[in-house]
Amino acid sequence: MALGKIKLYLFILFACAAGYIWVYINTLHSFIDEKATEVCLIKKVSNIPCPSCGSTRSLISLLNGNFSQALYFNPFGYFFAVGMLILPIWIIFDLVTHKSSFFIIYNKAIVFLRKPIYAIPLSLIIIFNWIWNILKGV
Amino acid sequence: MDQQKVDMFIMSNAKFFESHSINMIRERLLHLDDSKWAMVYSVPLKDPTTSLIVSILAGGLGIDRFIIGDTGLGVFKLLTCGGLGIWTIVDWFIIQKATKDKNLEKIQQYLY
Repeated sequence: MALGKIKLYLFILFACAAGYIWVYINTLHSFIDEKATEVCLIKKVSNIPCPSCGSTRSLISLLNGNFSQALYFNPFGYFFAVGMLILPIWIIFDLVTHKSSFFIIYNKAIVFLRKPIYAIPLSLIIIFNWIWNILKGV
Repeated sequence: MDQQKVDMFIMSNAKFFESHSINMIRERLLHLDDSKWAMVYSVPLKDPTTSLIVSILAGGLGIDRFIIGDTGLGVFKLLTCGGLGIWTIVDWFIIQKATKDKNLEKIQQYLY
């Protein structure tokens, strides 16, 4: 509904490319010294981590094989890892075969997300993750 | 529809749309059936200024995108710390146009 099919596909491909470049840049430095590459506006302004702060460190921990450390930094890192692996392949498959399977599922997912039955638990998950982030001071 | 009614609608809702689309909306409204008046008048339009304020205050969490109805992009913005902070800043400048486009999209389902 919001975006046209081609626009959405280009947006996600661009976002995934940006994500890969971002993770690659961060693997170049030792990520214990992460203050240098911190971009989160909320954390810079208020010194309080946002719900998804720590995802980069989580992804890098996953790359190094530290699964428990990845879960500790931010469980959303797993979502990013799965998304960044699957989405580009799915979208390129769609573009090559002239199908729109991803676009249809995306629109269905949005309709589901708008229903309070799904929206409230998901927002609670994000809020609990936020509280956990603040408590552990990621 | 009655010209006076249409002009009143345009006058009170001009800030919700891009200036170049107002003429088109006015033309369509004039040709619209009177029975659709109540529906057109009750379309929930979003104020661009409100979304700009929300974007500045809570853009990093994607709340602005949720408010204008871009749920998919909102989730994406929320999960990526506002698009690594870059998208947040870009949205400060384009959120007003995005809101107006959304309003046009909403009212267009009743115009045709």
